[in-house]
Amino acid sequence: MLDDGSNSVALSVNGLTRRFGGLVAVDDISFDLPAGRLNAIIGPNGAGKTTLFNLITGEIRPDAGRVEVHGQNITGLKPYQIVRRGVSRTLQIKSVFTGLTVAENVRAAVMAHEGVASPFRPVASYGAVKQRVDNLVEQIGLAKHLNTQASALSYGDIALLEIALALANQPKLLLLDEPVCGMGPQETEQTVETIRAISKSVDVVLIEHDMEVVFAIADEIIVMAQGALLARGTPAAISSSAEVQEAYLGAPEEAD
Amino acid sequence: MIVRCAAGACGAEGANDIGGFVSGLVLALAVNGLVWGLIIALIALGLSIIFGLLDIINVAHGDFFMLGTVVALVLATSTGSYWLALLLVPIIGFVVGLVLERVIIRPTIRQASLTIVTTFGLSMMLQEGVRATYGAQPRRMAAPIEGTIPLFGIDYDVYRIFAAAFAALCLIAFFVFLTRTKLGTWIRAVRHDPETATALGVPVARICAITFGLGTAMALLGGAIAAPITTVEFRTGVDILPFCFMAVIIGGLGNLQGTVAAALLLAVMEGLVTSVTDPTIARIVSLGFMSAALLVRPNGLFSGATR
Amino acid sequence: MTAKIISRAALILTFVALAAVPMVVPMLSSPFWIDIIAEILIWSLLAASVNLLLGYVGLLSFGQALYFGVGMYGAALSVIHWGAGFWGGLAIGIVAAMLMAAVAGSVAVRLTWHYFAIITVVFSLILYFAAMSAKPLTGGDDGISFSAPQIFSLGDLKLSLADQSVQYYTILLVVAGIYALFSIVVRSPLGVRFVAVRENNRRAALIGINVYLTRYVAFILAGALAGASGALFAFFGRYASASYMFYHVSGEAVVWAIVGGAGSLLGPLFGTGLLIVLREIISAYWEHYLFVVGALTILVVMFAPRGLAGLWSDALQLLFVSKGTARSDNLVDTEARAQPKPATNVTRGG
Repeated sequence: MLDDGSNSVALSVNGLTRRFGGLVAVDDISFDLPAGRLNAIIGPNGAGKTTLFNLITGEIRPDAGRVEVHGQNITGLKPYQIVRRGVSRTLQIKSVFTGLTVAENVRAAVMAHEGVASPFRPVASYGAVKQRVDNLVEQIGLAKHLNTQASALSYGDIALLEIALALANQPKLLLLDEPVCGMGPQETEQTVETIRAISKSVDVVLIEHDMEVVFAIADEIIVMAQGALLARGTPAAISSSAEVQEAYLGAPEEAD
Repeated sequence: MIVRCAAGACGAEGANDIGGFVSGLVLALAVNGLVWGLIIALIALGLSIIFGLLDIINVAHGDFFMLGTVVALVLATSTGSYWLALLLVPIIGFVVGLVLERVIIRPTIRQASLTIVTTFGLSMMLQEGVRATYGAQPRRMAAPIEGTIPLFGIDYDVYRIFAAAFAALCLIAFFVFLTRTKLGTWIRAVRHDPETATALGVPVARICAITFGLGTAMALLGGAIAAPITTVEFRTGVDILPFCFMAVIIGGLGNLQGTVAAALLLAVMEGLVTSVTDPTIARIVSLGFMSAALLVRPNGLFSGATR
Repeated sequence: MTAKIISRAALILTFVALAAVPMVVPMLSSPFWIDIIAEILIWSLLAASVNLLLGYVGLLSFGQALYFGVGMYGAALSVIHWGAGFWGGLAIGIVAAMLMAAVAGSVAVRLTWHYFAIITVVFSLILYFAAMSAKPLTGGDDGISFSAPQIFSLGDLKLSLADQSVQYYTILLVVAGIYALFSIVVRSPLGVRFVAVRENNRRAALIGINVYLTRYVAFILAGALAGASGALFAFFGRYASASYMFYHVSGEAVVWAIVGGAGSLLGPLFGTGLLIVLREIISAYWEHYLFVVGALTILVVMFAPRGLAGLWSDALQLLFVSKGTARSDNLVDTEARAQPKPATNVTRGG
């Protein structure tokens, strides 16, 4: 989503570093991701991909470096502030409000986005919110589960719900952390289609181990290893890179 | 309160001149603090290992101490030997701990935040149970070692010195157990990383039970040691509990040596502050100190906290 | 939807029954029970304050007696020293409690749940000892007393707390009003935020909720509830004593909240009611009723952790609602299905 013509960099990361004790989890990483693309970050386990996401979303502070989203500096902001600036993410372990229904889940996210926090008006009276909730649930394909408790949903549906929550704040940038992790082939396809549809209007960056998915939908791939940027390029370039193959020690078929 | 000196129970009897008396009294209060600090360190370590392994905020821990004082007094009176009581009380404590862990703790441990409620219920049962059986009347125990020795110009109770030495010995024994024995190593392993410990074949459930038993035993033992120098009644647990928590928090959850150091520091500090002001103010100061510690460094003031 | 109707009917029935107490009870038993029920209403607000934090936001506070005490002393001292009337004293008590909660909460709410629980106790202990030593002001353990101010006067009609029925209805009015407000808040967007923070505080942050602020607001509101309880208690007994600030009182309030059912609207009322009635009945025969309370607490956590409201909700589910659909939004049981969860730290390293 381009705010104005000049701001075509969706995500800019500069010299980002984070250590945990003696371990350097993210090592001086810099890249610019142009808007209008679907980018994937891949790499072996322990490469620091999720840590990178955590740094971008503010859940951990970087030891050094800078993060900008569509030109806006978000380094050092708290997670909720970053979310309010249009960055959303999903987590490796699908994270929704398990005790609430699908509708209640999405409603919480929509209300948070609209800044609705009155202590006095009954929730049911917010017609516009209800409309948005219905639209989002429809868009994500969970309309028939509107009043089902999240804990009763299938794993694939929980993943979709989480994506719906991430879309509620009309993000400019959506970070998906292993969105198809643990899914069977049908659920994977469903999720991939949803991601593809979303990527038409939102800049998406995903971490993934499932190479089929990555090669199917990514416009550009970044490879990380041991906390550092190893390679970057189109799927074709990456799949033929000897360096990348070495980092993976063989075929990375971790679609578990 | 711990370092309240009621009617000559300070341990300091007789003095030669006012100046000597005052400074002697202050030093005696400091030594009292040290004695109590060692006893409390023992109890607080019990609290710490229970918290460290089972994730339980055991608000009944002070009542375990109280139970120790009561059982010690009852056994000593009925058998005529305090020393026998001192031997039996920790064993009884261990068994009680094992039973409680099995019957009450284990079935409720799934609700992590509710374990504090469970132990609160236990605390009520212990206090009322003791009140119903032993009675509400506070009693004092005769010191098993009579006599005083001159210390800083004041005549100081010999028993208190014994109590301090014995508590110190128990502390040392505890650390030796924890670091040098297989069981102790297993306990440390489970506290550090339960999943890996299970993978390595450590019987985690049994270790948790033993830990609770051990923690309980230490609290009761502390009670037995303290019985001759405090009033024995059903409410003494209430005073001791905040102190133990302070020691654990300031020392750092998971930092056992830190807990011991914090217990000594707090007790001596409170003892000294009591000499210039009243015990309530001293307690407020300690609590304020603890709040500050919690806010500034939730993991404790002493480094090495593993949580 | 019949579950909803049943629950609403139960709510109305409860209120009607409570309103009828001063008339019905003397016919069935001694008027002494009117005072007991008034006490239940008052103490249920303290349980409600625990319930707000635990059931709706996921924070276990073991120190609400502090705000109870501030409300209690706020009311008593304003009557004694400033000649405040009933409504003035009540307001002052509540505001004072909210201020104290604002101060304490600003730091407490930052902590993870173990430390949060511990620091709430520590704060309440500090103020307890302070109140005990400030004897000239607070009367310490012995407390201070005052005479009942007027509630309402219009021409010749003067209503004062000295009249048992007037006192009862005043208390019922205030307490019912507070529960009504509470019900509005938990059904409001603010209530939605509370529940989001409780259910999954990391996810709540990731949808843009300021978790710290949400918890802080809840903490202050809970302080107001506890303060109202304390102020009413002061007026009820015309008495205030530091002994009510001790952590045992906080602990009992937690028990009442859990027995009633954390996360439900009227759970605190029924939990408090059950335990106080039990206390009255048992202590007539055996003075060690606390032993039974302790045992009951443990049994409730073991077998019915969602308390009375949970049992009610399960009964309704069994009879009316089919599995898989949402529980209906019934008033008695708004979120009783939610287990009290420990509030976990938001940041976990990647």
